[in-house]
Amino acid sequence: MSMLNVNDLHVSYGGIRALRGVTLEVMQGEIVTIIGANGAGKSTLLNAISGFLRPGQGEMHFKGEKIEMKPSRIVKAGICHVPEGRLIFANLTVEDNLKLGAYLRTDRKKIAQDLERVYGLFPRLRERMKQLSGTLSGGEQQMLAMGRALMTDGDLVLLDEPSLGLAPLLVKTVFDIILEFRDLGKTILLVEQNAYKALHIADRAYVLEQGKIVKSGAAKAIAEDPAVKEAYLGAKSTTAG
Amino acid sequence: MNLFLQQLVNGLSIGSIYALMAVGYSLVYSIMNFSNFAHGSVIMLGAYFGYYAMTLLGLPFLGGAVAAALGSAGVAIILERLAYKPLRDRRAPFLYFIITAMGASMFIDNSVIATIGPTPKMYPNVFGQGPISIGHIDIGRVDLAMFIISAVALVALILFIDHTKLGKAIQATAYNMKASALMGISPSFVIILVFGIGGGLAGIAGILYGMKYQVFPQIGAITLKSFIAAVFGGLGSLPGALLGALLLGILETFVSGYLSSQYRDLIAFTLLIAMLVIRPSGIMGKNAEDKA
Repeated sequence: MSMLNVNDLHVSYGGIRALRGVTLEVMQGEIVTIIGANGAGKSTLLNAISGFLRPGQGEMHFKGEKIEMKPSRIVKAGICHVPEGRLIFANLTVEDNLKLGAYLRTDRKKIAQDLERVYGLFPRLRERMKQLSGTLSGGEQQMLAMGRALMTDGDLVLLDEPSLGLAPLLVKTVFDIILEFRDLGKTILLVEQNAYKALHIADRAYVLEQGKIVKSGAAKAIAEDPAVKEAYLGAKSTTAG
Repeated sequence: MNLFLQQLVNGLSIGSIYALMAVGYSLVYSIMNFSNFAHGSVIMLGAYFGYYAMTLLGLPFLGGAVAAALGSAGVAIILERLAYKPLRDRRAPFLYFIITAMGASMFIDNSVIATIGPTPKMYPNVFGQGPISIGHIDIGRVDLAMFIISAVALVALILFIDHTKLGKAIQATAYNMKASALMGISPSFVIILVFGIGGGLAGIAGILYGMKYQVFPQIGAITLKSFIAAVFGGLGSLPGALLGALLLGILETFVSGYLSSQYRDLIAFTLLIAMLVIRPSGIMGKNAEDKA
């Protein structure tokens, strides 16, 4: 079943044509990654899907329904977005942050269960639940942002550079968690500069360059593509990966 | 010692009214990063709502207070929808908000002068005559009511902000509007909420202040003091607004009591200027950007 359909999406802001006709599809249960250089339009794409940027042209459908251009409605529909830079509420406690993830939900029992599940997934957050989240380390803040996203109970999780600025060990943890998200039944659209790791866990991949999709296919095939190797995986085209 | 305690009591009473008004500035500032200079007009209208509810409708004081709170909350929300929302939709610079607020304030004040007229009106005396004496200290009945009602309203506000889901949503939106929208919190809803709460408290402040003095179209000028209190405590910070307001109230009554009431406003404004020079973020504020 198709979860997300983006069709010929154009987005401009501040006089820059950031997206120039992006078409992509995410199927239920998939991990799809979008790789591309800085400024290729990856974050713009996620911000357009979650309603923060108005497309000049093109359509987006989520579970077959047209996406309404209002962030709170989009969250309600079941898309949750873990933004670049995490954007946790540093002035609130860890637990308050997580509970705000469930802001639109009313199923108290299920919320309590999900909170337990998040604490199970991130024991560090349980230890620090009463602490102001601004006092957490970068890695802990990323886990909080991901835990908060789980609390929204959305079916599609948009992840924007989740490994950015993290130590290698934590990068591995973050990618392990993404796999756990999939096991929990989430569909994932992952934007990453760490193309190697992203292609390793993804089912399919799109390569975004200057606002256009230039390549797409199975993540394995993309990872073997010589041009992708040279541009994103740090390998010279003459030497093997 | 008696003078000291007497002035302290007076200071807490006037400070609590400043606090009721100052939190309205701070709540709006914390979400929208501009000072709603039409707040004084909302307070003034609250004083009129309360007055007419008690005189024309013959409601008791509590009924008048509820009418003032609801009326002012309604006016504040309408003001937001009519005056500020169009600016938000166009992503106008914050200066436009301030100019619009001043314009709205003049419009409301002059509408009242044109319709109701400039003559001051007296509230009926509902609290009885003569001060209440405790030891050697006299407390005016209206002053006591001001302090108790303000304290109850402010404690309720703090409990609401710190312990309810909506209160947390306000704090989250104040911290980062985009992140709160990602949780499904509608910024428009939070903005309506803070204007409603700020307006409701302004209405209560209006009825109390009108009872202490009189009701007239320029009564909202008092908010200049509460604005000083909000800046002094740290704009955008609720505890800061409370602290600033109480300190300002006490300082004013001490200046009046020990020096002369002529120096009262001089000292208040000196304090504002000194604070802006030395510590622009106020006692508890965090960002020291424009305090307009």
